Amino acid sequence: MRHGPLVFLAAFFALSASWFGFVLTPQVELGRAAQETNAVMKAELYPMGRPGIARQGAEIYRANGCAYCHSQQVQQEGTLVSVVMTDAGTNTSALADYLNQLLPGRKYMGPSVGAGLPKVILTNATIDDAAIFAKKLKSAGAASQFRLVPIGPDIERGWGERRSVAQDFVMDATALPGSLRVGPDLSNEGNRHRDPNWQLVHLYNPATVTPKSPMPAYKFLFTRKKIGKQASPDALQLTGEFKPDAEYEIVPTPEAKALVAYLSSLRSDTPLYEAPITPAAAPAAASTNAPTK
Amino acid sequence: MSSPSHQPVSNAPQDSGAKDPVVPVWLIIVCFMLVYWGAVYFDQHGGWFNTQVYTPYVSAEDLQKYQVFGGPDPMVLGAQVYGRTCTGCHQPNGKGTPGTFPPLVGSDWVNEKEPGRIIRIVLHGFQGPGLEVNGQPFNTTGQMTAFGELDPPAGLTDEEIAAVITYVRGNAEWGNHASPVTEEQVKAIRNKYATRKSQPFSPTEIKGINPAE
Repeated sequence: MRHGPLVFLAAFFALSASWFGFVLTPQVELGRAAQETNAVMKAELYPMGRPGIARQGAEIYRANGCAYCHSQQVQQEGTLVSVVMTDAGTNTSALADYLNQLLPGRKYMGPSVGAGLPKVILTNATIDDAAIFAKKLKSAGAASQFRLVPIGPDIERGWGERRSVAQDFVMDATALPGSLRVGPDLSNEGNRHRDPNWQLVHLYNPATVTPKSPMPAYKFLFTRKKIGKQASPDALQLTGEFKPDAEYEIVPTPEAKALVAYLSSLRSDTPLYEAPITPAAAPAAASTNAPTK
Repeated sequence: MSSPSHQPVSNAPQDSGAKDPVVPVWLIIVCFMLVYWGAVYFDQHGGWFNTQVYTPYVSAEDLQKYQVFGGPDPMVLGAQVYGRTCTGCHQPNGKGTPGTFPPLVGSDWVNEKEPGRIIRIVLHGFQGPGLEVNGQPFNTTGQMTAFGELDPPAGLTDEEIAAVITYVRGNAEWGNHASPVTEEQVKAIRNKYATRKSQPFSPTEIKGINPAE
């Protein structure tokens, strides 16, 4: 081969450039990232550490290969803005005229502009348009707030409130972002299925709650045993064809409970500087992540 | 390329010269198009190596525009700062004391279109005869504290100064509707007077300053 060393150098340069770009630089920039004060709710540290049982559950999640079918990375394609009027000011008739002028097709009547506040008056706007609109509202004496609405197929499916970012994984010794999506994304599973018993029944046999689910049944995380003097308090409530034989009950093992605690601890609804969303009206109470039974 | 040990099959003229093969023009064009596409893609998705910029945000400036909840509401923070710092003189109702402490309610100083003067007053204090607020004279030897020169907790940070001025200027209950003040505006003015210490502004000096600067 002619120019052998040159070809080798070119290939070496191309491969090492991508290694620097994809491996070394992110490691230098993010490898030592720590729990940080959340930029949006200043007193709050993010991410919160997982409770001990949920950390054990992460190992169960890992050992059973859940990450081969479930990702934990929500994608986001854009962010739209809704403008919410919080205060109509004093001169409502002038404001109504002004709004009718700004938003063709609306018919606001004087005093009714101020009814039912706060109310959404502009949706699906870009941030720049929303800022201009808010400025105009302000000049008319009204006050407004923005609501950020992340958009994208993942968010439409309800898999997450916002995109996933590196900060979400800081507390995980082994990040399990997954790559295949045979099943739904689990970034926000703790918010999507808040009932630990739903999780347990689903793990025992996904067909109980989702007929035709391709997910395998994790029956080995449960014990089938004879009912003693009285039924176990944490026995699964199964119905129909899934109900065990009389005198028998299905009891979750500690592994199953830990896995459910881990699933309940998966949340991606915290507004972050790098992934801004509108905070929920009342911040969700920190979950203990332990199954209730 | 013919090697010396190899007899050329034909004597066609193009084989006689020892020319290097030429890269076809279309390949060069394709390469340039690929580089161009890569540059555009990088610009749209690279975030210029900022670790906080993820798609769909293009740059740090773009992301900054979405920080509409980034930080405490200045009106809330400003009310807290006002409550602990300003009420002693200007009173909780912002009306001050006639002849001694000027009012903030409806004050022509507070409601100036540009906040340059009021930022300077909060940063470095205010003293001197000849002060008139809304036409009322305040001939006092008393001095407004230089809150920008003290250390916390008595002093105020740029963020707190911006918040409290925003609160005072935008307090609708007081009838004030002036524009908010940003931390950057306070920082810029603080940097202009980095060495100034224990020299409160006088009415004459501050009248000579363009409030927009």
